[in-house]
Amino acid sequence: MDWTKQLGRYVVVMLLQVLLFNQLQLFGVCHPYIYVMCLLMMPITLPHSVDMVIGAVIGLIMDVFCNSLGIHAAGCILIMFLRPYVLGMIINDKERLNEQINQHTIGMEAMIKYVAILVPIHHLTVFALGAWSWAHIGFVMLETVVSSLITIAIIIGYNSLRYR
Amino acid sequence: MQTLFKILARYSNFLVFLALEVAAFLLIGYNNPYPRSSILSTANDAVAWQHEQINEITGYFNLRSQNELLAEENAALRNQISAMDSAEQVQMHYTSAKVVQMTTHELHNYLTINKGSKDGIQRGQGVRNGDGVVGIIRTVGRNYSVVLPIINTQTNLSCRFAKNDYIGTLQWDGTDSRFANLTDVAAHMVVNPGDTIITSGLSPVFPEGIPVGIVENSVLKEGDSYHTIRVRLHTNFKRLKYVEVVQNAHQTELEELANGLD
Repeated sequence: MDWTKQLGRYVVVMLLQVLLFNQLQLFGVCHPYIYVMCLLMMPITLPHSVDMVIGAVIGLIMDVFCNSLGIHAAGCILIMFLRPYVLGMIINDKERLNEQINQHTIGMEAMIKYVAILVPIHHLTVFALGAWSWAHIGFVMLETVVSSLITIAIIIGYNSLRYR
Repeated sequence: MQTLFKILARYSNFLVFLALEVAAFLLIGYNNPYPRSSILSTANDAVAWQHEQINEITGYFNLRSQNELLAEENAALRNQISAMDSAEQVQMHYTSAKVVQMTTHELHNYLTINKGSKDGIQRGQGVRNGDGVVGIIRTVGRNYSVVLPIINTQTNLSCRFAKNDYIGTLQWDGTDSRFANLTDVAAHMVVNPGDTIITSGLSPVFPEGIPVGIVENSVLKEGDSYHTIRVRLHTNFKRLKYVEVVQNAHQTELEELANGLD
């Protein structure tokens, strides 16, 4: 079944996030949230509102592991809301959006643009809500830039290896 | 009416988005900055168990240094027992616990320990280790608890100088887990690097005299009425493995008295 395979992949990515990437301590500014890959690569087949609910659920699961109830959920809901509009902006051929979104179906250039727009939005939301104060704005921006770059590199790297 | 429905249908996705975000923000507002619900946090048995398993594996890599620390601590404890005031011994009860998870590199750090309500842990109790103060119990689950360490930007700890009775408030600025700042120390007080900072004993959380740190440097700018003091913390949070929860037998009574004043 395609759905069970998909679900299995989600579990693997979430485990990687919790067991490996959440333990990273590189200078205190590197917190790549690679789990957004699950959300970004979902095909656009379900209604938009259902997509957002899925985003909320995945975000809440992350929140439980990060002791940050609601913060990841807010970030995930936001990118799930923006996703169809961003895709509409960067792709002309919308035929293949009902398949999994990857380098193979929408093209490498579009994939990089798509990931590079949505990942920083998600990371900025999560870090800004986590800090919950303007006093740390510089630190939040630095954290967003460093972590986003690493997340984007990992997602694009995985894509180019998996869907050559 | 029909136009209203049309508008609603047209913007239904945006309305769903707004509703979900509002729900998420309510959650954040309710929980910020620390998890209060023991189910949806690392005080949850399943989540804490997972962290504990990781620790079981990584724990083997620093057994030697841990043993040395334990031996040192045992010796220090024996010395303390012989010197201990018998009245305080009855009032304060220590429960040892293992740290199963902790962060040191975020603005809101927290740590999870493997003792919970079934071991008598309650919200608001103090946590220390052999070196000094660690933090305060925040969320209590059945088998695990979440501790708010002093290296969290929201923690305030009442401290005083060991050499005299001047009181200050210890706060963390979110940068380095080895240092914190002591505020509210008036300018006329003479502060020297190397001065020892201990807990003040003004709150029921900690007894008086638990070591906190030593003054690294202090700055007094022209016109300031308070010192800016940098304190090197005794507790090494990067290597924290075992802690003790301080249970004050009089805590409930003291808190009730304080609440009665309001």
